[in-house]
Amino acid sequence: MTTATPSSLRKDTSGRRPFRRVLVANRGEIAVRIIRACRELGVETVAVYSDADRNAVHVRLADQAVRLGPAPAIESYLRGDAVVEAARTTGAEAIHPGYGFLSERASFVRLVEDAGIVFVGPSSEVIAALGDKLAARRAAAQAGVPVVPGTLERAPVDRPGDLAEIVAEATEIGLPLLVKAAAGGGGRGMRRVTSLDQLPAALAAGSAEAASAFGDGAVYLEREVRPARHIEVQLLGDAEGAVVALGERDCSLQRRHQKLVEESPAPGLSRDERIELHELAVRAARSAGLRNAATAEFLFDTERRFWFLEVNTRLQVEHGVTELVSDLDIVREQLWIAAGESLSERVRAAAGRAADATRHAIEVRISAEDPARDFAPAPGTIGRWELPAGPGIRVDTAAESGSHVPPDYDPLIAKLLVVDESREAAIDRLGRALEETRITGIQTTLPFHRFVARDPRFRAGELSIDWVDSHWPEIAAADRRRALGVAVRAAAGAVSRARASATLATTIRNQGSVWARDGRRRAVERWPR
Amino acid sequence: MSRRLLVRPAGRSALPGDDVAVVEDAPLDPADDQGDLLGTLRQDRDGVTIVEVVVDGWRFELAVEDEARAALRRRATRERDAGATSGPLEVRAIIPGRVAEVRVVPGDAVEAGAALLVVEAMKMQNELRAPRAGTVERLTVAAGDTIELGDVLLVIG
Repeated sequence: MTTATPSSLRKDTSGRRPFRRVLVANRGEIAVRIIRACRELGVETVAVYSDADRNAVHVRLADQAVRLGPAPAIESYLRGDAVVEAARTTGAEAIHPGYGFLSERASFVRLVEDAGIVFVGPSSEVIAALGDKLAARRAAAQAGVPVVPGTLERAPVDRPGDLAEIVAEATEIGLPLLVKAAAGGGGRGMRRVTSLDQLPAALAAGSAEAASAFGDGAVYLEREVRPARHIEVQLLGDAEGAVVALGERDCSLQRRHQKLVEESPAPGLSRDERIELHELAVRAARSAGLRNAATAEFLFDTERRFWFLEVNTRLQVEHGVTELVSDLDIVREQLWIAAGESLSERVRAAAGRAADATRHAIEVRISAEDPARDFAPAPGTIGRWELPAGPGIRVDTAAESGSHVPPDYDPLIAKLLVVDESREAAIDRLGRALEETRITGIQTTLPFHRFVARDPRFRAGELSIDWVDSHWPEIAAADRRRALGVAVRAAAGAVSRARASATLATTIRNQGSVWARDGRRRAVERWPR
Repeated sequence: MSRRLLVRPAGRSALPGDDVAVVEDAPLDPADDQGDLLGTLRQDRDGVTIVEVVVDGWRFELAVEDEARAALRRRATRERDAGATSGPLEVRAIIPGRVAEVRVVPGDAVEAGAALLVVEAMKMQNELRAPRAGTVERLTVAAGDTIELGDVLLVIG
């Protein structure tokens, strides 16, 4: 990255380190990301792994590694007891959970705390309080933060006699509305209600799904704010109760509540709107007693109002976007805060600039998913793996050529981030970076990202959380059909040529083409053998 | 004579509704080269080549074969289906090559799937199996013979 300033590359001025040894309770790109931050601080790292990840990059990069169990997450990365035991036996002073897996499980954090190990994140009480969406809504509302209109208590799913009451409440909230799980996430337990007679069935179905997914069937009602953008605020807080906002991210391009593209700053907001948003986020987090890194999520409606959704009490997948704009290393700050330091001067200075960004960053999530099949997971073995480089490019990944993408975990294989002086320039840079990205062996989300990078609506900042689900399937079908036409001619040409030459692998295409270069390279590499 | 190639999406990359394309077997005009990315190229069975091509991030596994051979294969399949119950069945060469081994003699009773003969093509041994049960009525090739695509090899009654 070309944009790092000397200050962000310097260790703590006194030459100390936050911990001697940290266990990283995760896998994939985020485990690598955290290990990198630790190494730069002189902190030893302990990786954990499942049988599917025995040869994974995060295991290689760490100073030592402990096996957790077989491939399924429930038998490995979700085994809180095994993670704590690994930290104990290796003498790790702290555990960084990354995102997903155990990162927001209050019961796990309690286990860590009871073992006398530092958890890099908020306390178990805060995680429990903010993990309950209803409790978070109440706390935010009490702190004067506008929450999406809806109920603040759990719906009486098990008391049919009280149904009339909730129907009356639903009438007041207005339709369409959403039934949401209090323990929810990722859209599970969620039901859309467009007429009041659907409500009882939606409550029952949503509650049953939430009970099976989270072990808690509590549901509540929320007005459906549509159309809307998803805008979130990166927060950092310390043990003394100081909480600051480090800027916002627009993550509106989602499919089924999974983010695909994130950028910062959010396009089209006025400076006053940014300041208002950051203040709302800080207020919501402070009221909950937040410490360490968190993200407050909001909806931004067409009348330019912000509505509080929830607080995530962990490092987000898309934290790098904020790092590129704010010039901070959030993971490094997390470690210092976990070690008991108050918010650093670097953090305070970045917070002071948060509404006046002078750079624009965009991240696209490259996942092993098929964008022509509703983003269904497409695990497999990576063949060619060429990622972009050059000015303003950052790639966070744990994949490499020959890597097997196992079906057991999140299909995210790389985060491609770009930064430039303006949104326009960042989009151009993204387009260039995506042209350099060449992956074979597995289907990835690249076609979607390439489309976004050239789409005039995206360039104009026309963002909405419904956009992907309502427009992409049609665009995908047409774009794939066009690509198939090109691919058919290429395949036929390759076979023709292969037959004409002695061996298949030395197929040489016309001058200057990628195939020709590739064929020549392979031929040259084989020559001495 | 200009040949034509039949190209169809295969494997995990195929979607319902994908077209089967027929393309001239000729070098691609450089002007048509759109910087496509070629993954792997492998020879599948029955003279079909599987090519992995990635275009603008879309990954395709494409099965490429001679149109004539594809037509023959279709006919062979039809004949196999039609002859599954009765009537003599001509077993034809679905790849050109050399007969490496003959494992039956006329008069042999064979089960469906029994090995009949081995054809060597592109340094690979391809076992030819009986499409259905019956008796070997006639054998028209011997070990060492060179065979062309579509040649009748034997007849099962």
